[in-house]
Amino acid sequence: MAQSGALSRGAGAFGNLFTEVGNMMILTARTVISAVRPPYPYGEELVDQFSFALRLCWFPMLVSTFALCLGAPGLQAANALTLFGAMDRLGGFFVLAAVRQIAPIVTAVVVAGVAGTAITADLGARKIREELDALQVLGVDPVKNLVVPRFLALMLITGLLDLFAIVFGLAGGIITELLFHQPLGGFFATLFSNASTTDVWGSVLMCTIFGAIIAVVHSYKGMSASGGAAGVGRAVNQAVVISMVSVFAFLFVFTSVLLATHPELQSLR
Amino acid sequence: MIGWLDIPRGWLDSFGEVARFGSRVAGLVYSGRTFRFFGEGLRQAGILILGSALVIWAFVFILGLQCGLLGAYLLRAQGAPAYAGLFSAWCDLREALPYAFGYILSAKVGTGIVAEIGAMRISDEIDALEVMGIPPVTFLAGTRLLGAWIAFPFIYLVGIGITYMASYISVVKQIGDVSSGGYLLIFWMFQNPGDLVFSLIKGMAMATVIVLVGCYYGYTASGGPVGVGTATAKSMVFNIVAVHILGMLGTVVFWGANPRAPIGG
Repeated sequence: MAQSGALSRGAGAFGNLFTEVGNMMILTARTVISAVRPPYPYGEELVDQFSFALRLCWFPMLVSTFALCLGAPGLQAANALTLFGAMDRLGGFFVLAAVRQIAPIVTAVVVAGVAGTAITADLGARKIREELDALQVLGVDPVKNLVVPRFLALMLITGLLDLFAIVFGLAGGIITELLFHQPLGGFFATLFSNASTTDVWGSVLMCTIFGAIIAVVHSYKGMSASGGAAGVGRAVNQAVVISMVSVFAFLFVFTSVLLATHPELQSLR
Repeated sequence: MIGWLDIPRGWLDSFGEVARFGSRVAGLVYSGRTFRFFGEGLRQAGILILGSALVIWAFVFILGLQCGLLGAYLLRAQGAPAYAGLFSAWCDLREALPYAFGYILSAKVGTGIVAEIGAMRISDEIDALEVMGIPPVTFLAGTRLLGAWIAFPFIYLVGIGITYMASYISVVKQIGDVSSGGYLLIFWMFQNPGDLVFSLIKGMAMATVIVLVGCYYGYTASGGPVGVGTATAKSMVFNIVAVHILGMLGTVVFWGANPRAPIGG
């Protein structure tokens, strides 16, 4: 009896999962369609959301990228490279570590955790106070006026914050070189000879898609919040888990495809 | 609209408050006063295992795949594909796993605690606890920290195994530059028990901070249902920065001056 209960509960959870994914897909399609179809009433909200996300994200972003790049690829790799007496190679390693991996990862985590949670809390509060229903009664489409500007703003800002993250990640690498009393010439020489345009556009493109995933998941969870005081908090909790897992799954697929289809990234110069 | 310096200022503000609240809760657990509610602590540990372990392991698995992929391509570029194990051994155990653990814990466990305790605060259940003569900080925050300390070391250790498996899959099965035996030889050569303990300390420090931050923001939530959502979002800002700072400090302290590698003499 207990077993069948657990089984049906598991099946129910899977059913819910499919329903949720389907609903998010529908929301994505509706968002994209209403983003391109005139009229375009969301210009002001888009600018607002962009500056809101930037004000929220710049500080966590700065500290996180710097700390992560100083610790993980900085000190660990510098330790190994010192054993081989090849500290100037750190620059080449930072192309792989900072540009290709850590900048997108940190950007995704910070945008999902900081800007995304703020979006879910905001939309969830409007849902609980029945403002979304009121908007619909007034003939204002919540998807067009609330979700589309957030979607576009988050896509834009995630792509741009990625560049910001790359700069501060490289700053972490520079500090590592200084900690090990190395001249910076070797770092920059191997950095620029290994860096390619493909790396940078791959990183930025990946982050733009991360922004889209995060915006849809967090908007959907905010707009479907229910159940009083615990509801909004629970919506934020579920949204951030779903967006992080889906973003990282996408990260793996994208990196595999990018590395397999661009063999020039695989040679060390 | 928030100002440019509101987030750093808010972070510093709450850093002091969280430190005070956290040291109080940790003291309650450490001095054994929480053991009055040991059953509740076990229940919280059970909730963590049943509710969060699978998500944590799934997330950690993806990061392990990623480490293996990077290592395989990096060492292929160096002309030593057989040494892919070197990169994935260090990447998995020393860096990727603690960070992945910190991210998913702040997302799943941290915000979950804020939402739960915050809802209790909003519906005045915490005041009701006090009226009934149950110390609310001990009962709500202390038992959660106790539960976390019981459950997370084991979840973390299983997570280490899962990242190793994931790296093996992506290096040996997906890329396939190195044979299974060759990969495992190098992989285990670059492991040592000390690293495992250091990695566990890093992960548990993050877990402790995340649980305490969650309890703090939930306990001090105010302003109706909306306030719970805002507190949840704020706890995430605090946790992300704290996880990265702890990760960096751990690396500097444990491996900063000593690579602990079987190279050279």
